[in-house]
Amino acid sequence: MTLTIFNGSPRRHKSNSTLLTEHFIKGFHSIKEKENVRVCYLAETKMLKENLNIFDRSEQVIIIFPLYTDCMPGMVKEFFEHLPVKDSSPSLKLGFIVQSGFPESSHSIYVERYLRKLAQRINCNYLGTVIKGGVEGIRSMPSSMNKKVFKSFHQLGVHFAEYGEFSGEIMVKMKNPIKFNNMELIIFRFLKITGLVDYYWKSNLKKNGAYHQRDNKPFGN
Amino acid sequence: MIITILNGEMQLEPNNFSVYITDLDRQLQKDHTVNHFQLKEMNIRHCTGCWSCWWKTPGICAIKDDMDEIFATIMASDFLIFASPIMRGFTSSLLKRMTDRLVTLLHPYIILTNGECHHRKRYQRYPDFGLLLEKEHDSDDEDIEIIKDIYDRFALNFHCTQKFAWLTDRNNTKEIAYDTHDI
Repeated sequence: MTLTIFNGSPRRHKSNSTLLTEHFIKGFHSIKEKENVRVCYLAETKMLKENLNIFDRSEQVIIIFPLYTDCMPGMVKEFFEHLPVKDSSPSLKLGFIVQSGFPESSHSIYVERYLRKLAQRINCNYLGTVIKGGVEGIRSMPSSMNKKVFKSFHQLGVHFAEYGEFSGEIMVKMKNPIKFNNMELIIFRFLKITGLVDYYWKSNLKKNGAYHQRDNKPFGN
Repeated sequence: MIITILNGEMQLEPNNFSVYITDLDRQLQKDHTVNHFQLKEMNIRHCTGCWSCWWKTPGICAIKDDMDEIFATIMASDFLIFASPIMRGFTSSLLKRMTDRLVTLLHPYIILTNGECHHRKRYQRYPDFGLLLEKEHDSDDEDIEIIKDIYDRFALNFHCTQKFAWLTDRNNTKEIAYDTHDI
């Protein structure tokens, strides 16, 4: 079975999607060492025709992308608009991974409905959508802080190699929290007061000498 | 009111949708100031996710194209109309490409809204909007619901309200122009 992963991150190789994909593939190769996994970048918009040909020739496809304004990035949507409609008997297995910076998966469950319908619309065998929140900044974090998320993607790859599908159990775990529970809301409010919630943004603003401009309003009030 | 139409139609040759939007523009101009952006005629590049607009030059996008004109016009508007033919079950990739860039208008800091994390406002107010869609050959009610729900999420993140989601085959331009009086 030919597995192709289309990476829909506008950040291309330097994306969180790339990091997660690498761990998925490591898990996949721990079971199917010799099976090639092709990775294509949708940000290479000049490669659209070639990417569509690769999609057409693949037997299993995973499309991974970051949530952009509550949905897929424009370049991923462009790819979707060009996807061929398969023959009426579904043979191509198509799954999605949606990652976002927000910690809760409630932001991504709306696009999940769209993706399910898309797979149906182009006659593909829908494998489901893996949703993972809290991903922004993982590239700059020490790897020890990302152990859990990387392990989950490794296991997801292992299961995919063994069964040709996403593990329902891992998907459920990754999707949590869908929304913060009361205790998590209390913790969040406390962290907000301490400034830790926005630490990532503040430290980057300071690093770039732009902290004093953080509230700029160049287009009005 | 100042109304801005963000027209995501992608076909170069005239068609039913372009005729509809041109007529809507004319109807709205009777009572409002109308800005009509035909995005296909503009230079709008993809967001690269560089976050310059959040942590290098806050509020200003690093990409220099026609978006600055759109940012300024949106923030000076009272109401927006996101207009698009439905393509593969959602608004056009062109409209989405433009929408992706609107993160520049938000602040990176996180606040809780309805118990969920969202980005803080950069500006005091953001214009409400309506959605105007043209069905494709296989559009059904579920497609419309999905689009409407995703744009409701967009409204939540952009601190505004989606006032309507109308279809070109159900709502005529005079009706839409008339209803804008109640917005």
